[in-house]
Amino acid sequence: MLLAQLLISGIQTGLLYALTAAGFALIFGATRIFHFAHGAAYALAGYGFVFAVRAGWSWPLAALLATVLAVGFGLFMDAFVYRPIQRHTGSFFTVFVAAFGVVIVVQSGIEIGFGRAFVAVTSPLTRASAVLPGLYLARAFWIALAAAGVLFGALGLFLARTRTGIALRALAENPDLLRAYGLSARRLSALAFALGSALAVPGAVLGAATTGLSPSVASHVMLVSLAASVVGGIGSLRGAAAGGLVLGIAENLVVSVLDTQWSEAAGFVVLFAFILFRPRGIFGAALAR
Amino acid sequence: MTAYLLNLAQLAAIFGLLAASLNVLVGYGGIFSVAHAVFFGFGAYAGAQIALNVTPDVLLVSAAGGLVAGVLSLALALPALRVRGEYFVVASLGLQMVATTAFTEAEPVTGGLGGLVGIPPPQLLGFSLASPWAFLAVCLAALFGGLAVMRLLMRGSFGRSLMALRDSESAAEAFGKNVALLKTLAVALGCTIAGVAGGLFALQMAFVNVESFTLDQSVLVLAMVIVGGTGTLAGPLVGTLLLLLLPAALSFLPGIPPTEIGAVQQAIYGLAMALLMIFRPAGLAGRAQGKR
Amino acid sequence: MIERRMLLRAGLGAAAGGLALGRARAEAEPYVLGTLFPMAGPNAEYGTIFTEGAQLALTHLAADKLLSRQVVLKAEDSQGTPQGGAVGMSKLVNVDHALYVLIGFTGVSKAAAPIGTRAKVVMVNGGGVGPDLAGLSPYYWNVIPLASAEVSRIAPYLVAKGWKRVALIYMDDPFGNGLRKSMQTDLPKAGGEIAGLFAITPAEQQFSALAAKVRDAKPDVVYFASYGAQQAQIIKQLRDNGIDQQLVTYSGALIPSVRSLPQAEGLIFTVQTAPWSATDPVTRRFLADWQATHKELPSVYHQNYYNAVRLFGLLAHGLEQQGKPVDGDSLRAELLRVRRFALVGGEGTFDDLGDLSVPIDIETLKGGQPVKLD
Repeated sequence: MLLAQLLISGIQTGLLYALTAAGFALIFGATRIFHFAHGAAYALAGYGFVFAVRAGWSWPLAALLATVLAVGFGLFMDAFVYRPIQRHTGSFFTVFVAAFGVVIVVQSGIEIGFGRAFVAVTSPLTRASAVLPGLYLARAFWIALAAAGVLFGALGLFLARTRTGIALRALAENPDLLRAYGLSARRLSALAFALGSALAVPGAVLGAATTGLSPSVASHVMLVSLAASVVGGIGSLRGAAAGGLVLGIAENLVVSVLDTQWSEAAGFVVLFAFILFRPRGIFGAALAR
Repeated sequence: MTAYLLNLAQLAAIFGLLAASLNVLVGYGGIFSVAHAVFFGFGAYAGAQIALNVTPDVLLVSAAGGLVAGVLSLALALPALRVRGEYFVVASLGLQMVATTAFTEAEPVTGGLGGLVGIPPPQLLGFSLASPWAFLAVCLAALFGGLAVMRLLMRGSFGRSLMALRDSESAAEAFGKNVALLKTLAVALGCTIAGVAGGLFALQMAFVNVESFTLDQSVLVLAMVIVGGTGTLAGPLVGTLLLLLLPAALSFLPGIPPTEIGAVQQAIYGLAMALLMIFRPAGLAGRAQGKR
Repeated sequence: MIERRMLLRAGLGAAAGGLALGRARAEAEPYVLGTLFPMAGPNAEYGTIFTEGAQLALTHLAADKLLSRQVVLKAEDSQGTPQGGAVGMSKLVNVDHALYVLIGFTGVSKAAAPIGTRAKVVMVNGGGVGPDLAGLSPYYWNVIPLASAEVSRIAPYLVAKGWKRVALIYMDDPFGNGLRKSMQTDLPKAGGEIAGLFAITPAEQQFSALAAKVRDAKPDVVYFASYGAQQAQIIKQLRDNGIDQQLVTYSGALIPSVRSLPQAEGLIFTVQTAPWSATDPVTRRFLADWQATHKELPSVYHQNYYNAVRLFGLLAHGLEQQGKPVDGDSLRAELLRVRRFALVGGEGTFDDLGDLSVPIDIETLKGGQPVKLD
C-alpha cells in the first residue's frame, strides 16, 4: 500500500509540475527564450492567491488575481527584459543572468512583503481520507487531475485548430514567413508568454493549499520546469507534460527506499541520466547537437 | 577594521581565482556550467581533510584540493562532451543539485550540515601563516599564479583551438581539432583551479560546510564572470570585486529595519544583475556588443 | 550599546565571509561581551528575542555599578547557520576581542566552539538545545535545558499514556541527530520503542511522501524535531495526509507560526518551567522592569540571556573583589568555585560541565495558548 500511496502523491505532484513545465515549454517552443524566471511567475501567482484569500476574497476571485499577476509578469519579462537583450544579440548567458537577477528581486520582494516563513491557505480540500485501507486521497488530487485534463485539452485544441495557435507553433521555425502572412511575431511572442505564465497558476494555487509556499519556491519551480522540459524533450509540450509527471513520480517513489532528503536529488538523477543517454527526451525531435 | 579588510581581501583573492577558473569553461570553452561550486566544494573538503589529518601546509592542501576536483571534473566533462547549449546548462544544474544532497549526506567525509570544524591555522613549509598579512600574500600569489597560467595557456595554441571551438564547433571539427580532448582539458583545467581555490577557502574560513557549495554559490560565481565580462582576463576580477563589495557597501544603507536589510540587499543585487545584462550585455570589462 | 553588523543572506554567506563593518577596540578597555545570533534571514526573530534579554541585564548591571569597568555588547550575525557562526565567532574573537560570547543555535555553537576554545573565550548558550552542547568545551556553558533533558522528561510520559511506539521525524543536522540519539536511549529505557526513524533537511517543504511512510510504520504517536517555520509545514501536511496520531515535539515549537496554525491544536511539547510566580528579588525585578517596557510576559529565552549576562556580572564582580584578571580561564575557575548563583527563576546551580539545571514542564496547545499538562 505504501507504493500505491506514494504513486498517488507522485501523480498529484507530477500533474502540477506538468502544467508548469508545459508553460515553460510553450514559451521556449514559440520564442526560443529559456525563460529562467518562469518560477517567479509561479511564486507571484501563489502569493497573490494567498494574499487575496487572507483579505477575504472568494477562491475564484483570488485565482483570477493570481492569473493576472502571472500573466502580467510574463508580459513584463517579454517586453522589458528579454526583448531589449535580444535586440543587441544577447547570448544565452546574458538571458540567464538577467532572468536570475529578476528571480532574486521577486524573491526578496516577497520576503519583505510576506516574511520568510512559509504561508498556506487552509481548506478542507487538502484533508485526505481513506479510500482503501491505508490509501489516503484528498479532494485536491481530483482537482489537480481535472485542471490538468481540461487545460491540456484546451491547449491542444487551441494549438492544433486555431489560426493563432498554428502561427504560435510556427513562430520559432520561421518568423519571416509569419510576417509575410501579416502576423506580428511580437504579438505572438507576447501571447506565448501570457499563455505560458498562466499555466503556472493551477500549480501555484494548489501548492498554496497543499504544501504551502515559501519565498524560495521560485527557484525550485524553475529547476523542476527546466528538468521536466529536458526529460520530455526541449520545446515539446507533450514532452514537458510527461517529463513533469515522471519527475513528480520519481521524487515520491524514491522515498520508499531512501530517506526523504534524497527525493529532490532523485528527480535530478533521472534528468542527468536522460541528458547522458537520451538527450532528445521522451518525445523530443530537436537534436542536442 | 584592518583585520576586517584583510579578511575581505583574502576572500576577494580566493573568489577572484574561482571566477577566473570558471572563465576558462564559460568564456574560452563556451561550456556554460552552473555547477562550479561543486568543484570548489570538492577542493575545500579534500583540503580540509588534509589540513585536519595530515598537515595544514598551504601547498599540500591546495594541491590535494586541485587534484581531487580535477579528477572528479570528469563528472562534468562527460555531459559536456555529449550535449551542448541549454542541455548542458540543465545537466550541470542536475549535477549541482545531486552534489548538494551528497555533500549533506556524506557525513563521515563532509561532516554533513554540521561541517568540518577546527581546521588549524595554515603553514607554508613549516612556517606559520597565522598572520592575516602572510595568508593574504599566499592568496594573492595563488591568484596571480593562476592568472599567469591561464593567460599563457589561452594565448597559446590550446587557447586558440578552444576559442575556435567555442565560436563554431563544427568548423573546429572540420579543421581537425580533437573536440573531445579540448573540452575535457578545459573542464579539467578550470575545475582543478577551482579545487585549489577551495583548498585555500577551507584554510581561510577554518571551517567548511555544504552551505558554501550550493546552487546559489554557483550562480554567484557565474554572475561574477558574466558581469565582469566573459573571455577576458580582467573580467572575472572586476566582477568578483563588484559582487563582493556591493553587498558590503549596501550594508551602510540607512533607514531600513535591521531584519529587512538582507532582503533589500538581495533585491538591489538582483536588480543590478538584470539591469547590467540589459544595458551592458558584454560585461563591464567586455568589449562592445556584437563581437565577443 | 549595540553595534549592529549585517551580513548577507545565507546563500551569499561564503562570499560574504567577513563583510561586516568592523571597528577595533573602543574606549578605555571596557569588558566586551559578544552576541552571535541570527539577525537576518529566516531565524531573525530568535536573534531579536535573545538580544532583548541580554540588554535588560546590561541595564541592570550598569544601574547596580557592580563592575569597575563599562560593559559593551558587540553583535555579530550568525545567520543561524554553522558557517555564519564560524565567521562571526572569528570576528568576535579576533577583531572585537570579546571575552564572553552569548550564543544560540546548535549548528552555530558547534562551528563556533573550537574557535572560542582556542582563544579561551567563554561562550554561553541560552537558546540552542542540541544534546551534544553539553560539555562541548570547558568554555562552553548552557543556561537552558538541552533537548536530551526534554527527551528524558517526555519519554516516560509517552509510555505512561500508552503511546509506546514512537515515530521519530528529525532534522539531519547536529541538533536533530543529537535528539535522535537521546530518544534511542531514553525511550527503550522507559519501556517504549522507536517505530521508525525519518530524517529531513532544513530546506524540505513537501512532506506528503514522508506522511505516507510514517503512516506505514503504524506508530502510536509521532515525535518531530525541526525548527523555525518548517515545523508548521510538517504539522499541516502530516494532518492533511491522514496522520491522526498525537503529535509531540520539543520547546522549539513555541513560535507564532506554529501557535497560530489550526492543525497544531492539541500538540504536546516540553518546555523549561517558566518561573514567573517565583518570589525572589532577582526574578521580581526582571519581571517588573520587563513588563514596564514590554507590557507582556517575557519568554524563557529572554530569561536565559538575561541570566547569561547577569552571570558574567556576578563572576567578574567576584574576580574584581579578589583582585584577579577577568579572562576565560579565571571566569571558568570562578564559576566552578562558586557554583550557586542568584538568577532569574531562583538560585541556580551549575554542574562540572558548566550547565545549569532547570526544571521542565509538559504542555499542550489549546486555542494557540500553552497549557500545562504535567
